[in-house]
Amino acid sequence: MNDESTLRAGEEPLAYAGAVEERGPANVALGGRGVATPAASGRTTAGRALSGVLASRWLGPCVALAALALPYLNSSTYVIQIAVDALIFVMLAVGLNIVVGYCGLLDLGYAAFFAIGAYTSGLLSTRFGWPLLATIPVVVAAAVLGGLLIGGPTLRLRSDYLAIVTLGFGEIIRITANNLDVTGGPNGLYGIPGFGDFGLRSDIALYWVTAVVVCLAVLFAGRLGRGRLGRAWRFVREDEDAAEAMGIHTYKVKFAAYIAGAVFGGIAGVLFAAHQTAISPPSFNFLWSALILMAVVLGGMGSTPGVVTGALAISLLPELLRGAENWRYLIFGLLLIAVMIFRPQGLLPARTGEARRRGRRVRGGAS
Amino acid sequence: MTHIRRGTTAVAAMALGLTLTACGGDLTGDASGGGKSSATLKLGMLTPLTGSSAAIGPYMKDGAQLAVDEINAKGGVDGRKLSLTVEDEACDPKTAAAGAAKLVSAGIDVSVGGYCSSATLPTLSIFDKAHIPMIIPAANSADLLTQQRHNVFLINGTGIQQAETASKFIKAEGSKGVALIDDNTSYSTDITKRTGDQLGLLGVKVAGHQSVTAGESDYSGAVNAVMDSKADFVYWTGYYQEGGLLIKQLRAAGYKGRVMVADGSVDGKLIKIAGQKNAQGVFATMTQTPQTIPGGQGWVAKYKAKFGSEPGPYSTQAYDAVRVAAEAVRKAGSTDGRAVTKALEQIDGFKIFSGPLKFTIQHTLTVGGFDILVVKDDAFVLNK
Amino acid sequence: MDHFIQLVFSGLFVGSFYALVALGYSMVYGIIKLLNFAHGDLYMVGAFAGFTVLSAGAGVLGGGLLALLAVMLVAMAATGGLGVLLERVAYRPLRSAPRLSVLITAVGASFALEYGIAVAFGPNPEVYQMGVSDGTLNVLGARLTYAQLAMTAIAVVLMITLDTLVRRTRTGRAMRAISQDPKACLLMGVNVDRVISRTFFLGSALAGAAGVMAGVYYGKIDFLMGFVIGLKAFTAAVIGGIGNLRGAVLGAVVLGLLESFSVAYIGSEWRDVFAFGFLILFLTVRPTGLLGERVTERV
Repeated sequence: MNDESTLRAGEEPLAYAGAVEERGPANVALGGRGVATPAASGRTTAGRALSGVLASRWLGPCVALAALALPYLNSSTYVIQIAVDALIFVMLAVGLNIVVGYCGLLDLGYAAFFAIGAYTSGLLSTRFGWPLLATIPVVVAAAVLGGLLIGGPTLRLRSDYLAIVTLGFGEIIRITANNLDVTGGPNGLYGIPGFGDFGLRSDIALYWVTAVVVCLAVLFAGRLGRGRLGRAWRFVREDEDAAEAMGIHTYKVKFAAYIAGAVFGGIAGVLFAAHQTAISPPSFNFLWSALILMAVVLGGMGSTPGVVTGALAISLLPELLRGAENWRYLIFGLLLIAVMIFRPQGLLPARTGEARRRGRRVRGGAS
Repeated sequence: MTHIRRGTTAVAAMALGLTLTACGGDLTGDASGGGKSSATLKLGMLTPLTGSSAAIGPYMKDGAQLAVDEINAKGGVDGRKLSLTVEDEACDPKTAAAGAAKLVSAGIDVSVGGYCSSATLPTLSIFDKAHIPMIIPAANSADLLTQQRHNVFLINGTGIQQAETASKFIKAEGSKGVALIDDNTSYSTDITKRTGDQLGLLGVKVAGHQSVTAGESDYSGAVNAVMDSKADFVYWTGYYQEGGLLIKQLRAAGYKGRVMVADGSVDGKLIKIAGQKNAQGVFATMTQTPQTIPGGQGWVAKYKAKFGSEPGPYSTQAYDAVRVAAEAVRKAGSTDGRAVTKALEQIDGFKIFSGPLKFTIQHTLTVGGFDILVVKDDAFVLNK
Repeated sequence: MDHFIQLVFSGLFVGSFYALVALGYSMVYGIIKLLNFAHGDLYMVGAFAGFTVLSAGAGVLGGGLLALLAVMLVAMAATGGLGVLLERVAYRPLRSAPRLSVLITAVGASFALEYGIAVAFGPNPEVYQMGVSDGTLNVLGARLTYAQLAMTAIAVVLMITLDTLVRRTRTGRAMRAISQDPKACLLMGVNVDRVISRTFFLGSALAGAAGVMAGVYYGKIDFLMGFVIGLKAFTAAVIGGIGNLRGAVLGAVVLGLLESFSVAYIGSEWRDVFAFGFLILFLTVRPTGLLGERVTERV
């Protein structure tokens, strides 16, 4: 296979898409909506206003404030329960965004790190009586170890193979947890303690702990993406060979993205264990990995506001459609197709803000 | 960028301040649902309506609905009408926990659901915090009880009781070697493990133990292993979808010994999938069902008239769970969770399908009520 | 020894099912570099299409091999058409989009197909009313049923037909050309869209055929039956070298044999761990799959 047809998971369109575009209008007549014009051209006023909001430095704090204030608006058990679920999902999506969005590595087994985190903290807290907070360093170590084990040999592979290898890894972790006695077999671990209730209703206390951790994580991921390492990731994603030629150690850079993603997943696992109080293998199946990936792509790869929005949508939509039984996943599936067709770059793509920043940076002589 | 961080820190500090001043309000008390009304007795049920076990949900839902309608037709409980709210658990812990929280917020008085053990486990603490008694009709893993929550009651026979019945029968049949096969889910492995232990005590040889993956079609691996182990008795503890295939493939491979299945496989579909010829003489361990107890045909007829289909796995247990809940509320004279729990503990001799009801100290059935059924023509009948 | 041969037969039999599904995966990947996640679900739809035909024509069709072939043809046409429709509606509009977006549409399509069938047929498994003969014969001490032989034979015929189609016909040549260089094909006047549609038709029809065969042989079908086999077929395609047709078949057979032996010697609960663990180790040693680079011909 020649280099042109080896495509990286990223912004780059399919190989022949370029060719199709060259055919121009004739193709539109042939294929209907064959050629999607890039959304960037002909932006409307509404679009400009939206990107203005997205680029605003107040967006992050406002969203964080809204998240922290939620229990004052509605503190019913159900709302808090699904809000914590959604926040944990945001953390997972932001972590996976580092791997897929920033660095362009297609990971289909991200739930593995989530499982490693949840099981490590669950094991230490239930079997050995550790307080949950004390398990976090061990969880980070375990996630890094998992990342080393699976990333080490496979990050040299082509991206499609990386997809199947990570998928296999996710299944291996899940089935192993299901088969071992120490992990509680198919029933998993239960009776996992929380972080303490600080004199509050216990689920609300956990909500605030989760909200703070997730807000910090989102902030950190956003900064990571904008920093020196983040630029290297994007470079690798856009053109690995060029990046290599410019002196970037692509293997190391990819590794860094993979490990960072693993740590995010592990910590999300701790929150999940505390939230659910009982964890079992079905929570870490392939569907879960696919849903996280979906959140990243739906929101817009590489864009933090986008990914957060995507995660909230993917996490809350099935809850909103609850009661529709089998219809809900049918609608969910059709919606995904529709969104991707009409906004293939995601709901809030990274492009708009980045172009502006890039321009500024050039003027300032940075990078 | 530093601006953003400074802004967020300030916001976080503000939020914390708010938190502290808000103490003492709604946020610090016990979790409880939105306004419990006294006009109706609200029952909530978690059951799989989507996902791999989606087939079971309607059986449980209809069984419970039948009981609700019957009780309402007789005037309800102390003048209160019953209402049933059903939420999907999808056999997925996260979905189940969210569903439980939704039921709590809807203000249910008693939970009468719970199918997959692994999905029911995370709901325990949610119902417990809201002081809602749980009468679990299907999930029966011992893990549900090890936390000794006072509000959890199992009205399905437990894995231990089923394993006892199964191993006694296997011993009585004079088997020389038993192959145990499960589907690697908690319900199923619980029974195989305990049956293995029991058989050891009874001195019956366990020739092999296989775990297959649910949802597949080809079980030739397990079948080959059974053939190699020269077992003359196969005990399958998973569900009917896979059970039917397993029996079919065992027979196709020339297995001549006996086959027994556990309660999750007792469904007419098992016979259809295995093929009527292959399924003849297959035994089953099963709690008493309307199909097997005298006078039960009337119940089946009622169910069929109402829902247009045969009752399936756990229809009866769901039906009983609602009746037990109503009985306990009637005895307690209130819907207060603690009072209902106490009433449940004191129930003695209330008639349900598995026999007169009395809970053990662990909140399981005193009498598991497991019988041996056998496939005759196109149905499971009591083995005589 | 007969035990060993029995394991080989089981592996080959399961492998032939994997192969039919893996072929479609590989074809689609080869031509538009898309991991069609909904492919396993086309297999499931095929099984349900066959079921519908069988139920509708229960009286007319009887139960012989001819009836099976008739049902299979109808189901293949139905799933083939569905595959073309899927490409038209869900994948074609996204050709200029980032690659992962198309992957997400594929996952969306997979959900839609699974739960569309669940809504249409109900979540309960359905049972094929077509029995296959119970006759068995002994080969080298191992046991084979006539049904297994018939299924394997049908699978092999289908594979050979596909191989010939791709090697000998104009469309086949166009497919191979597009997988090499789509741009040049456009310049040479190849109707790329039409060839892609045909690729989807062929791949999906094969999956549909496998679905009917599974329905007839195993007897039970349900709306989630495509998921596991989709995953396995994907693995098989990668082991063989994705995009390579003969590689996909080889990979499927290797995977089937591996699974059969791992169940016998390690235990069935560890089978998938073994299969995926092997895949990871294998790819680190030979990253392009068994036939990934040696053969230049790709579809």
